[in-house]
Amino acid sequence: MPLVKIDDVTKVYEGKVTHRAINQLGFEVEKGEFLAIMGPSGSGKTTLLNMISTIDELTSGRIMIDGIDPHELGKDELALFRRRKLGFVFQDFNLLQMLTVEENLVLPLTLDYIPLDKMADRVMGIADRLSLKPILHKRPYEISGGEAQRTAIGRALIHKPDLILADEPTGNLDSKASREVLELLSAINREEGATIIMVTHDPIAASYCNRVLFIKDGEFFNEIYSDDRRQTFYQRILNVLSLLGGNVNDISAARLP
Amino acid sequence: MTFRQLAYRNVLRNLRSYAAFFLASVVSIMVFFVYSMFIFHPLFEEEALGSMAVQGMLIAEVVLYVFTLFFLFYSMSAFLQARSKEFGVLVHLGMTKKQLNKMIFFEMMILGSISTAAGIAFGFAFSKFFFMIGREIMELDSLPLYLSWKPFMLTIGAFASLFIIISFVSVSFIRTKRVLNLLHGYWKVDEMGKNSSILSIAGLGLLMLAYTLAALVEDETVYMMVFIIPPVATIGTYLFFTHSIHALLNLYKKNKSLFWHKSRLVSIADSAVKLKDSAQMFFIVTIVSTVAFLTVGTLASFTSYTGDYRETNPLSLVYISFEDNEQEQEHIGLLMNQLEQKGLAYDVAQLTVKRQTSEASGNEVDILQASQFNRLASTLGHENVNPAPGEGVFVPYSQDSLAALNETVTDTVLIESGIPLVIAKAYPHVLFPSRTLNANSIIVNDRDFENINMPLRGLTAELSSFDYYAFDIPDWTATLGIGDSLTDQMDEAFETGDFSRISYYFENPGEDYRWFKSSFALLLFIGVMVALVFLLAAGSFIYFKLYTDLERDRKQYALLVRLGMTEKELLRIINRQLVPQFFLPWTIALLHSCFAFISLQVVWDEFAELSILGEMAMVLAGFTIVQLLYFYLIRWRYISHLQAS
Repeated sequence: MPLVKIDDVTKVYEGKVTHRAINQLGFEVEKGEFLAIMGPSGSGKTTLLNMISTIDELTSGRIMIDGIDPHELGKDELALFRRRKLGFVFQDFNLLQMLTVEENLVLPLTLDYIPLDKMADRVMGIADRLSLKPILHKRPYEISGGEAQRTAIGRALIHKPDLILADEPTGNLDSKASREVLELLSAINREEGATIIMVTHDPIAASYCNRVLFIKDGEFFNEIYSDDRRQTFYQRILNVLSLLGGNVNDISAARLP
Repeated sequence: MTFRQLAYRNVLRNLRSYAAFFLASVVSIMVFFVYSMFIFHPLFEEEALGSMAVQGMLIAEVVLYVFTLFFLFYSMSAFLQARSKEFGVLVHLGMTKKQLNKMIFFEMMILGSISTAAGIAFGFAFSKFFFMIGREIMELDSLPLYLSWKPFMLTIGAFASLFIIISFVSVSFIRTKRVLNLLHGYWKVDEMGKNSSILSIAGLGLLMLAYTLAALVEDETVYMMVFIIPPVATIGTYLFFTHSIHALLNLYKKNKSLFWHKSRLVSIADSAVKLKDSAQMFFIVTIVSTVAFLTVGTLASFTSYTGDYRETNPLSLVYISFEDNEQEQEHIGLLMNQLEQKGLAYDVAQLTVKRQTSEASGNEVDILQASQFNRLASTLGHENVNPAPGEGVFVPYSQDSLAALNETVTDTVLIESGIPLVIAKAYPHVLFPSRTLNANSIIVNDRDFENINMPLRGLTAELSSFDYYAFDIPDWTATLGIGDSLTDQMDEAFETGDFSRISYYFENPGEDYRWFKSSFALLLFIGVMVALVFLLAAGSFIYFKLYTDLERDRKQYALLVRLGMTEKELLRIINRQLVPQFFLPWTIALLHSCFAFISLQVVWDEFAELSILGEMAMVLAGFTIVQLLYFYLIRWRYISHLQAS
């Protein structure tokens, strides 16, 4: 059974100019899959991710996550749903400035009555896994972008969510830090079977995934699956992107890993 | 767009963030203007009460001026700091430091002239209203509105100078050398700078010391402590907000089972940052609130003095006639006439008082006749005394003396007339104001009284007795103007030091009471207005700080919603953040005031014998209610700003 099922989803922004951000889009994400969503600026990627994150409403259609339709839940249930089932990674990290790295990591657990020793265990485990140990007691403004994004990933993982949603996680990072973060995400996907949906502009980032879904003007455009070699997958992504005909500036200068 | 327009638009479009301290400065200017209207009122030029009002208001104006200067300076520099990103862009685009200063100067002048104009306009609009209050309090017949350029000039002059000073000083705080730092906004890197544990302990220690000293103040030490406690408490408060509280919070944070618990993680950490960020502000707010509490509390306790007044002055008019007073009957007739003209019911008792020397103490005593005394006592509705021959009853001069007199049995002889007396008790009520009779006064049996026929040692027979006329008027506060000619003659004699023409003593407690009451009420009124400005300003500091952090907070709450925080938990976090900001300075100020009042009570006991507890409790409760209202108002604004996105 697929973990995420997107069914004929449409999102219309009413306003002075009615704007159809997503139009009858449908796809599925299997458990343990690492999916990238690509598309030019304004293609509706972030809208789609927000709807999956349950923080934006659908105009029509249905999204099922793990057999639940979150848009039918009440406010508090929905909060609990996000708290337990989802993990988020953002482009600008969104760490809380007044908390230390350790406290940022533990934040999702504190919301959920987890006993202290268990929280401490989890933090240590994650810190070990993401090599955050030396910076656990630093504050976000004292660490580098790569470290900050690793912390954010740690925060997204610590409560073992069913689904991790990443919005341009490498958008604010240099190439070295980007590679570290992507390798980390794909390792987590591989070794722990975490399901990840990542929105990205960056074909290199997309090449770490199992599958890339392209959307254009809110509609399904194409999808391709990875093969054994990342370099060839990267080439195929570039080919689709050139077909997609988005703004050339959207595609970062080819930088082969 | 010209340069001036840029400045103008900056003010106009930042109006929402300027709102709080715009409001505070308008109110401050308004109060200042109203006081000036009082000060320059043509009616006050000769009045005695007027001069007191004018002095009180002059002091209040100076206080307001200094405080507003300080308040605006602080808000302005915080506001400029919050706008550093904007300045960064301008400097990046090539604005020179000089131009930037000029822009800020323009902005300040615009803000200053708008708020001065608004303050004066409101002040003038409400001055009729304030004159009415003033008229009621001072019990004047009329206090008409008048038009003069003086109050306008004073207010405009004062606040123009104030805004000019501020704009010059606050500009110097912007550092344009490091454009990047400006652009970067104001998340200061040293925000959580190290706490000195010595200073933390010192802060708590100094506060403890101040409190202990205040609680242990004695009559003998009180005047020394006045100079010791306030500085100790002030330094202690400063260290408490800059160090101690953070040390305490860090201790709390170390205990993970407490700290890593639901929304506490976020709310405590956030509060810690905000408390650190505005430690100086909290310090100022605390001190300002303490001063406000103390001022109003002290003034309110003065009014409670007037509440006790009747108990110590049960007689409505007192006329004492000494030797050679040819006008005695004329004066008494005059008083009765005036009372009748006013339509006041009255009763008058005449007592002959004889002066003798007591053997037991060697002091002079005043002797009253039992039958005359009983006539007065029954007029006032008190019981009679019936001393047997050879017995005496003490006349107490205050409630406290009553207890002391009841405990002693005095065996004495009136030396001059050779009359032995045993005095075992005191009359249970205070009938005579303490200044009108000797502290040692004794009621004796009529027969004994007759037998006192020898004059006081070294004096003639005439000089050793006098006539005491005690008036009882049920409507005792209505005696305004009765016997004014007598009072005037006495005042004149006091001024010139020439008592040769005065052979009487006259007192009109009702009039004195009104005078006391209205001057204290007036002071209270002045004090409450200043305190209100203080409180408003303290609240606007907080509002302003909240406003500048709004963007950051909004982002943070958006994240927390994503991470799955329920609305209830969010509200709890918001409350936990707002409550300390509002009520921590508040609580400390309350504590300060409570201890200050404990020592004040000692001072009061010494010279007025009155308890200020009730008034204090009222004042503190009143302020707490105002603060609660203010808290809910600002919380409501803050939450609606947060939800706006």
